[in-house]
Amino acid sequence: MSYSVGDALPPFVIPAASPDAMKQWAVFLADPNPIHLDVAVVKAKGLGDKRINQGPMNVAFMMNMLLAAFPGCRIEAMDSRFLDNVYEGDHLTASGTVTAVDGNRVSCEFTLDVLGRGTVNSGTATLVI
Amino acid sequence: MEELPPAPAVAGTSLDGTKLLTITAEENAALCRSTGVEPTADGSAHPIYYYIATQVAMGKTVAGICETCEFDVEDGPMMGSSGVRFSAPLMVGESYKVTGEILSLVRKLSRKLGVMDVLTYRLRLHPAAGGDAVLETDNVWVLPRKELAA
Repeated sequence: MSYSVGDALPPFVIPAASPDAMKQWAVFLADPNPIHLDVAVVKAKGLGDKRINQGPMNVAFMMNMLLAAFPGCRIEAMDSRFLDNVYEGDHLTASGTVTAVDGNRVSCEFTLDVLGRGTVNSGTATLVI
Repeated sequence: MEELPPAPAVAGTSLDGTKLLTITAEENAALCRSTGVEPTADGSAHPIYYYIATQVAMGKTVAGICETCEFDVEDGPMMGSSGVRFSAPLMVGESYKVTGEILSLVRKLSRKLGVMDVLTYRLRLHPAAGGDAVLETDNVWVLPRKELAA
């Protein structure tokens, strides 16, 4: 398989951000922040009326897109920016584009987008393929 | 405009961990499935463990880091960015330890957030048995300073 600058990466789709996954991630991260678990707390803090996804889970969705796009690859470096929250029920799409190819290293830029709200995460990565 | 008081001088604060973190096959599988994929068959862990393992095994909790920065975690720290450089994949069944430090805490005035402190800290994940770090990560958090709002 060969890759070229400008190639679009197949999107990775999460149909609906899951409150059950947020409960699991509170354990994985040893972080019981109630904005991920309790709608009443989110409302009380003026952050909306839905539970908020843990930021690292959003990074994992983008990693899944990269790993699926280049089967057998290894992520060598990755930088992610957090631009907005992901809320329970949000329909998410991670997608990306090849920005450089150097031997067995491929560089990409990518985003995580919420249907109807736009980009909530963006970043760059270098993969060893 | 009045000059802002300086941010607390916390650069250099150690975040070295004292406990080991083992990525179990069970948790890795649950984590992978929670993100919509199956665990790999080659023994490698999901790469997002770069963030999870360093956060769980570093020497302070998120609330503890905020306290060091004289910031109440209840005031809502926000993730700004996260970067990682891997030198080896993370493996299921392996135990790791963390070293790290706060790099900077910089006070800024934001049109959107008002006064805020930008916290940058660096963590490294090492095999528990010793040896070079398998990854280094820099995380940036935004700490809105409501008490300094005009």
